[in-house]
Formats: sequence, C-alpha cells, structure tokens
Amino acid sequence: MRFHIEELEILFPYPRIYPEQYAYMCDLKRTLDVGGKAVLEMPSGTGKTVTLLSLIVAYQQHHPEKRKLIYCSRTMSEIEKALAELKALMKYRTEQLGHEEEFRGLGLTSRKNLCLHPSVKREKSGSVVDARCRSLTAGFVKEQRERGEDVEMCVYHDNLDLLEPHNLIPPGVWTLDGLMKYGEEQKQCPYFTARRMMPFCNVIIYSYHYLLDPKIAERVSKELSKDCIVVFDEAHNIDNVCIESLSIDITEDSLRKATRGANNLDRKITEMKSTDAQKLQDEYAKLVDGLRDAGEARDEEAFMSNPALPDDLLKEAVPGNIRRAEHFISFLKRFIEYLKTRMKVLHVISETPLSFLVHLKDLTFIERKPLRFCAERLTSLVRTLELTNIEDYQPLQEVATFATLVATYEKGFLLILEPYETESATVPNPILHFTCLDAAIAIKPVFDRFSSVIITSGTISPLDMYPRMLGFEAVVQESYAMTLARKSFLPMIVTRGSDQGVLSSSFTIRNDPSVVRNYGNLLTEFCKLTPDGIVVFFPSYLYMESIISMWQGMGILDTIWKYKLILVETPDSQETSLALETYRTACNNGRGAVLLCVARGKVSEGIDFDHHYGRTVLCIGVPFQYTESRILKARLEFLRETYRIRENDFLSFDAMRHAAQCLGRVLRGKDDYGIMVLADRRFQKKRTQLPKWIGQALPEAESNMSVDQAVAVAKKFLKDMSVPYEGLMQEGISTWSLSDLKRHQAKKEVEEIEQLQRDAEMEGLEEANGNGNGVVNGNGNGVGNGNGNGVGNGNGKVVDEFDMDEDDEEAMMALDG
Amino acid sequence: MQRNGAVPAPFEDAEEECPICHSKRYLRKDMKFMINPECYHKMCESCVDRIFSHGPAACPVAGCNKTLRRARFRKPTFRDLQMEREVDIRRRVAEVFNREEVDFDTLKDYNDYLNDVEDVTFNLIQNIDVEEAEAKLDAYAAANKQLIQSNMKRAKEGVDTFRARQEAAKESAQQRRKAALQEEEETRREEEEERRNLLKALDAGGDAEVLTRQSQEAMRYRAQIRKEALANEISANENANGSAQFTIRGLKKHVEKEEEEEEKPYDPFDGLSDKREYFVLQEDYGWENYDRLNKPEYSAGGYNIHEYYNRALCEAFSGLGVFIGDSSDEAPPAVASAGAALAAASPMSDDVF
Ligand code: SF4
Ligand SMILES: [Zn+2]
Ligand SMILES: [Zn+2]
Repeated sequence: MRFHIEELEILFPYPRIYPEQYAYMCDLKRTLDVGGKAVLEMPSGTGKTVTLLSLIVAYQQHHPEKRKLIYCSRTMSEIEKALAELKALMKYRTEQLGHEEEFRGLGLTSRKNLCLHPSVKREKSGSVVDARCRSLTAGFVKEQRERGEDVEMCVYHDNLDLLEPHNLIPPGVWTLDGLMKYGEEQKQCPYFTARRMMPFCNVIIYSYHYLLDPKIAERVSKELSKDCIVVFDEAHNIDNVCIESLSIDITEDSLRKATRGANNLDRKITEMKSTDAQKLQDEYAKLVDGLRDAGEARDEEAFMSNPALPDDLLKEAVPGNIRRAEHFISFLKRFIEYLKTRMKVLHVISETPLSFLVHLKDLTFIERKPLRFCAERLTSLVRTLELTNIEDYQPLQEVATFATLVATYEKGFLLILEPYETESATVPNPILHFTCLDAAIAIKPVFDRFSSVIITSGTISPLDMYPRMLGFEAVVQESYAMTLARKSFLPMIVTRGSDQGVLSSSFTIRNDPSVVRNYGNLLTEFCKLTPDGIVVFFPSYLYMESIISMWQGMGILDTIWKYKLILVETPDSQETSLALETYRTACNNGRGAVLLCVARGKVSEGIDFDHHYGRTVLCIGVPFQYTESRILKARLEFLRETYRIRENDFLSFDAMRHAAQCLGRVLRGKDDYGIMVLADRRFQKKRTQLPKWIGQALPEAESNMSVDQAVAVAKKFLKDMSVPYEGLMQEGISTWSLSDLKRHQAKKEVEEIEQLQRDAEMEGLEEANGNGNGVVNGNGNGVGNGNGNGVGNGNGKVVDEFDMDEDDEEAMMALDG
Repeated sequence: MQRNGAVPAPFEDAEEECPICHSKRYLRKDMKFMINPECYHKMCESCVDRIFSHGPAACPVAGCNKTLRRARFRKPTFRDLQMEREVDIRRRVAEVFNREEVDFDTLKDYNDYLNDVEDVTFNLIQNIDVEEAEAKLDAYAAANKQLIQSNMKRAKEGVDTFRARQEAAKESAQQRRKAALQEEEETRREEEEERRNLLKALDAGGDAEVLTRQSQEAMRYRAQIRKEALANEISANENANGSAQFTIRGLKKHVEKEEEEEEKPYDPFDGLSDKREYFVLQEDYGWENYDRLNKPEYSAGGYNIHEYYNRALCEAFSGLGVFIGDSSDEAPPAVASAGAALAAASPMSDDVF
C-alpha cells in the first residue's frame, strides 16, 4: 500500500494498515523533522517494527542526505526479525518502484555467532572466541608475518583486505544467515564484513550494547555520523542496560587472576627489554605526547577500550609516573594489593568514589590522575608487548577499567563491599560492587552525539519516567491505544478470593495459608476454564518455590494436574528451555499446560505466547524488586536526591513495567486473544500506571473483583471469542485499507481547516471585542483516532500476520568486551 | 594513616603459622602478626613480646642480622609484606617530593617531575643503585626545605577542606531525606483530613460529585505548594554550601615560549611590548550605547573608539600577570606562584580553570 504523509511517500508492504500504525508514523515523522528525542509506546503485536522501518526508509530515500538508521534491539531473535522485516520491505519497494534502490542494510552480532574459522567457531564461550580471533587478526601479527615470521592468521580476515574497502558485500539487505552464507561462499569473515561496512550502510541493526556499553561503543560505533537516526526498540529496560554497562563486580578470585596477569606482564617487559628494548622506548616517547596520538594506530582489534573517558583527557599526556612500563606495572600491582586488603573486611561498606580515592591515596599514594589513565595505558602496553593470548588478561583489564571509572566519575556511582554472599553465610566471599546509579551517564554520549533518538516499546509507561531517569527532554511523547473491532483481550484485577479474603503477595501475609489457598483456587479455576496454555508469573523464585510447596501440601497441584500439565521455570536456562519445549508440545496436543515462571526471569522478557500458547496470563502478586538489596537501595536514594523520584514511585513504576511486560506476552497480534489477570489487592491502586492500551480496556468495574466474579467474566469473554468472527468486521475500524486511510486523511484535513477557520473567527471576534477578554477555548485536538468496539462474527484470516513468529531462544548476545 | 574506620581487620586464615614459634592460627584464634620496618620479617605478637621486651635484639629470622626494637613493631596493612615495604618507602618519598600540578608552569614539566620521582622511588624499592637514589632524595630535601614545608601545610589544608565538605554533604543529604519523609507524612495527613471533611460535607447533604472534585483539587494544589517550598529550601541550602566551597587555584605564570638567545636588534624597551597578552582587540564590541555615540557629530578631534576599548580591556586585565611571589624575596625560587600558595582546595579537584 502506498500513501503520503505530507510530502513523504510511504510504501507499506501490507495491503492494510492499523490506525495506530498510521498515528505512529505521523509522530515519528514529526520527530525526525524537528530533530530531538521521542518516547513512543505502541501496543505489542501491532507491527511496530515494520511501521518504524517503512517510515524511516521512506524518509531516508526521500531526503538527499540519506540519514543512516541505527536500530538497536535486545536479543538475537529480535534482530533477526527486524532484518527479515527490512528485507521484505525493500523487496516490496523494489516491486512498487520498478527499480532497485541503492541500499544497504546489515545486522551485527558477536563473533561467536558469525565466526567462520573452522576451529575458532567451535569455542563455547563468546569471550574465548573474541580473544582467539584477536590473536589471529591483530595488526602486529600481520606485521610479524610480513617480516617473514611464521604466524597463524585467519584467512577469512585476510581475504577482506583484497576487496574494495567500501564494497565488501554487494548492496541489499543481509540477514545474519545470508551474511554467513555469503561469507562462506566468498571466504570472507562475516563479522568484519559487517563491522567495516557500517559506515556505508543505510540501516544498521544491532544490539543495545554496541551503542551503550562504552567499552564496546568506542570501537564499533565511533564512526557513525551525527545525523544518524537512533532507535532503541523494546526499550522499557533501557535504564538497567545503561547501568549494567558501567557497573563492575570485583571478587577475590578476579583479583588473584589480575595479579597473575600483572606478573605476566612484568615478565614480558623484562623479556622485551633484553630483546627489543627499542619498542618500549618508542612507546615511552609516544606517551610523552599524549595517549590519543599513541592510540591513533589502534586498529579495530584493540585489546579493549577505555570506558567513557572525556575526549580532552585522551589528548593529554600520560602522567609521568606511569609512563614507563615497569612503573605502570608496579602501579597496577599496588592498586590490586590495595583492593585485596579492602576485601578483607567483615562488615558491609558503602562509600563514594571520592572517599575511596582519598583512602586509597592515604594508604598507597596512588593519585587520582594516573588512575584515570589506567585502562588506556594498559591497552597501549598490551599492544606494545604484542601479546596474543589476550584472554588471560581479562581480569586485569577489568581492574583497570574499574580504576578509570572510579577516578573519572565523582557522582552517580557507589562502591559497595559485601563480605558475605548472603545474610546467613558464615564463610566470607567478598564482592566489591562498583555500581553505577545513574542511567543517564551511559546514554549521555548517545544523546549528545545523535540528533534524533527514538525510544520505543510496547510497555513504556509512564512515559515521563524515562526522560527523567535518562536525563533528556522528549519532543514527542506518545502512547497509542489499540483499536479493536471487538474486545480481544480481557484485563482484570482480582483482589479477593471467593471467601472475600484479600489476595496479596505483600510480605506480611504472603505465607498465610488462606492467601495461598485463594491463589491456588484462582489458578485452579482458570485452569478449568482456559483452553490450551496458561502462563503464571510470580514476583520471585523464592516466593514461587514456597507457594508451590504449600500448594503441594494443600493438594492444589493435584487438582490442577487433572486439567493441565504443570511446568516450572528455573534459573537454569537449559532446564527452562526444555520446560518451554514441553509446554508448547502440550499446548499443541490436548489439554494444554500451565507454565509457572518469574516476572523478572527470562520467560517474562523474551518469549512470546501467541495464540493458543497463551490464552491466560496470571500475575500472582506485584513483581516488586527485592528491596533489601543494597545496590537497589543506593539507586533509590540516588534517584530521590538527583532526579526527585520518590522511592515508592520508582519501585511501583518498576513493578508495573514488569507486570505489563508479563501481560503483553499473550497478546501478539490483533487476531490473537487472551485473558490478563492481575491478582493482588495492590494492583487496584496502580491501575493508572499500566500502559494506555491495557488501561483503556480495563473498566473500573473489573479492577476490583473476587475470584468467582473474575471466573464468570472470563467465561463470558471466552464464549464471545468462540463465536466465529469475520475479518471483514475489522475493516475500516481496526484495519484500514487505502481508501479508509485516504478518508481519514481527508477528514483530518477538513478538521484542520475548520480548526483554522474557527481560530480565525475567534481572533476576529476578539478583535471585535476590542481589548475585551474573550475566553478562548479552541480545543485543537484534531486527531481522530478511529476507535470502535463492534462485535461481529466469522473467522476470516486476517491478512497481516507479521511480528508474531514464535521464537523461544532468548540467546542474549554474547558480546565482545 | 587510618581513617574512615575502614582499614580492615584481616581475615583469619587458619593455616597461617608463625615462622618463629610455628604456632598456627588454627590453634590460637587471636594470633596477630607484626612486622618491623627494619626488615619486614613477620612474627607473631607473643614472639615479639618474648624476644624484644628486654630491649633491642637481633631479628630471629635466620640470615637476618638486623637489630630490632620493640617500639617499632606494628601490624602490617597489607598481606603482601613486599607491598608493605614499598608503601613505606613511598611515604618517605612522598613526604619530600610533594609538589603538585599547580606548582608547575606546564603539564609537561609536571609529568617529567613525576617521572623523575618515580624513577627514584622505583630504584629504592627494587634496590637498584640505592645509594644514588638516597642521595637524590636527600639533596632534594635539603634544597627545598621551605617549599616542602609549605606544600605539606597546603596538602593538610586540602584534606581538611575535603573532610569538612564531605561532612556538609552528608548532613544536607540527611536533611533532604528528612524533609522528603516529612512531606510524605504531611501529604498522608492532609489526605486523611480531606477525606474526613469530605465525609462530613457529604453528611451535611452536599452534591457528592462536586465536593469530591473540589477536595481533590484542593489536595493537588497543596501538594504543589509543598513541593515548591521543599525545592526552594533545598536549593537555598545547596547555594549556601556552594559559596563556601569556592576557591581559586591554578592561576599560572604566563610562560613565554623559549626564545632563542640569538643576536637581536637592540630593543630600547627591553622586551616590553604594547602587544596585549590576554585579549585581542576587536573591531567592534556591538555595545549599542557606544554605537549610538560613536558618530562624528559627537566625537572630539582625534577621538577613537578603539582607544577606549583598548583602555577598558587593559584595565580589566591589568594585574593578572603580576605574581606577588615573584617580587617578594622570601618566596622560594622558580617555583611557587602566589596562586599556588593561596590554593587551598582539595587535592581532588584537579580541573584548572
Ligand atoms: S576473523 Fe572472522 S572468521 Fe576469522 S576468527 Fe575472527 S571472527 Fe572468525
Ligand atoms: Zn610466634
Ligand atoms: Zn629480620
């Protein structure tokens, strides 16, 4: 379908469009036109990705400057999905336009997923693959070979150098699979092909980390130009990603390994001094002038990168006392020894970076400034020493990164030292958490650098929370309702059991047998009435375990067993994927199953339960975070102090975004249907914090129900759903054909004109009134959001079945670091 | 040296044993080890008591012939005694070489200085050319006695300010926390009250909808006011703290680029030039007052607006290049700029403005 939004022609690869997709495009275009940041919430299962891509690609092709799109998503499967959508879109464009556009779209993921080297690719761990690859591709290895030494290199990497550097791969959209195949045919490395082609791509699709983790971003995303359009999809957790990318945990074990690394380096330096002292001397000479100059030659394979160092610092000369290699090693050793000493305390300590630095200086005479250069200095040394077995130095690198971070940031970080793993442990196992409290730090470079940043997800309510936490101002903030021809999902809040006793997972009563029994009762009832799959979410593993064992004792599980197969998520991902497999089989055959899982676990984030895989989702208890965690407490305090976000507001926001994620799992498209039950008294008050599209479908009357009421409503709902339903009934209401769209646009235009006329009249009126104070109430909200709730019958196959492939792998990308 | 109360009580390692009496921690739970900075040989507390309580004695470790005194025994900070020794040496060096970045005219000078200091330290630690290093240390100490003293004082002041500031920050954080709690409490109370009032009014037979709306609005309004008041109070607090923290440091002597001592034409003013160091005179400063007056009908003969600009700027910058330290005799040679001596900020803030 082809249509215009203002001057822009959009080619949309489906014959019909949802009203909310159209609205989303309009807002997106507005954001791109004015530049700036946007937060957009689009109901899950309404084809967000394809909408986004069609608009942005149209925008790119329309404007001569062809701004690049950087599309960030979270998981491998999401990236694959987006690439496939893009490919289909471009195919459609070619058909429609009659010629192929000059266009390149590439996805990037870790080496582990893309490597072709026969022995390297077989390594299990991502970091080993990275390290081995580096030792086969590093710049000095090549030099060594040119000198005639016999060193092993990767042919796939070498072959790239034979190609034109800006044309390593023909234009077009390459899915990860396609890229691998092409690489195999041409004997060229897919990973480096993608990385090197990045500056020449129109669309790049990769994981968040490539942009947010300063340790990686510096290397991978440095060359992207300012006018890129950056999109963070599935961004409801973006603040946590930001924080994690700057937080470091140090254990005694890692310190031991770091010491070993430092000793190795020491030995290498001595060796080199006797064989090739000139190299060290050269390095020294370079460092006198400044790091960046020394690092200029740094190739894409640098050992590691510095964490978010301000640029001017990099240009500065390295402090005199760590210029010499042996001085620097002694410096590192001293720092590690200090950390070891700190690890030996028996009580919890939390302190700010500043006070840590003062104490450090008192004890070891380490100043802040050289500390700050640690990471960069180490990189330079490793390069000079031409080390190949880089993976051995990982722990040392971590310590150096920590050093740099702690010396760079005064605010927004906290050091927490916990001598014991758990409250009850007697054997100390100290961990030094260097935790970032401020999500804005990691994302700031992104905001500073790129003019258009779009943050979007299916559940990102309340919208204003994100700008506050991430420290930006949004030019457009929008949440779209879901237009439905019939009500296809039923959100309910159940607050009481059938005996009118409260339902709540609050700490004081969560283990009350009556509460547990009521929850059990709720589950049993829904197992009886739901066809196929049920997914149940608990706030935590601990709580889930205790409830399950209590249910066992009460015989509740036995009852459920009669209706459904019971499967449980565990922290072990292998076990969980097995459970999921079984769950799906059970849903496909016969009476279905119930999957018990955790609201912050893997299932809740990455796995879709479309159609019969999930007809009911049951949220048992509000999924609050574990508030006794010291890190969380520190973060809460920080949020209150810095962004004036109250503890309870944040906790409740956080709980609700996870709850919303859970609910969104079962509804993956407009022809899907499902029941969403929030079972806790406390949800009643938090109703307003649900995303708009869920909130709208949740009338007041259904937000305070008892179990038997809920059962009755659910039964009725399912009965309605089972009435055959004609796809045609959706026409013009929840899906628009081209003519519907045109009608809508025309109507809007008329409205706009009328509005203008009214304004003009008003002005005239005011003028006529002289300087009288005429009350103006021109309500300029001319966006008609065709919204209707018709009920019909017939079961037409709805045409647009995109964005709902099933994927159960939540292979979080293994990253290079 | 111990501060923050954070210096650790070392973990007990059951296998650790005293190299002198061979008793194990496993058997004597409260066993403590001590070292003497003469030789850094470790032994248990009771051995120390036993051997050295009657005055100086030789170290009991075989091959070590140092004479040790009871008084100098102490508990080590680091597990690694090599490190213990290193840090002791560093302390000694740091007490002598205590110049900071602000004391140098260029960053390069400072870095070279650091490099040299580290060379000396490193040699001392690694026992390379110890005599030479010691000699350097002594020579420097003798040559810069006064400077060392004043730097020490400055460092101490720096630490004090830092601590005071930490305290202040902690206090204000507590205050804010309290205020926030209070606000929450107040909100709750008011809501409660409002509800009661509402019920009363309803009892009296008012229109439920209107009353509810009214009361909600009132509540929102009050919350708003409270929030603003709180924000004001906090920012006032912060400002008060901020002004106390303001210090000047880092004014540097303006260094001329090295001039070649070549034969030059005779300069009657001996290098004094009328070139401006700190500003470049611009054609126009766009100040409308003067634009208005700068017309031929208003100016006297020979009046030139640029002369005025020049004078004004000159006045504004005069004195910036004069360093009191240079003209006073007491000042140590070549090093201290008045700015640096004045500087009392914490050693932590190394950004120079
Ligand atoms: S260059 Fe490519 S193919 Fe070769 S080892 Fe590295 S990732 Fe694998
Ligand atoms: Zn002993
Ligand atoms: Zn001895």
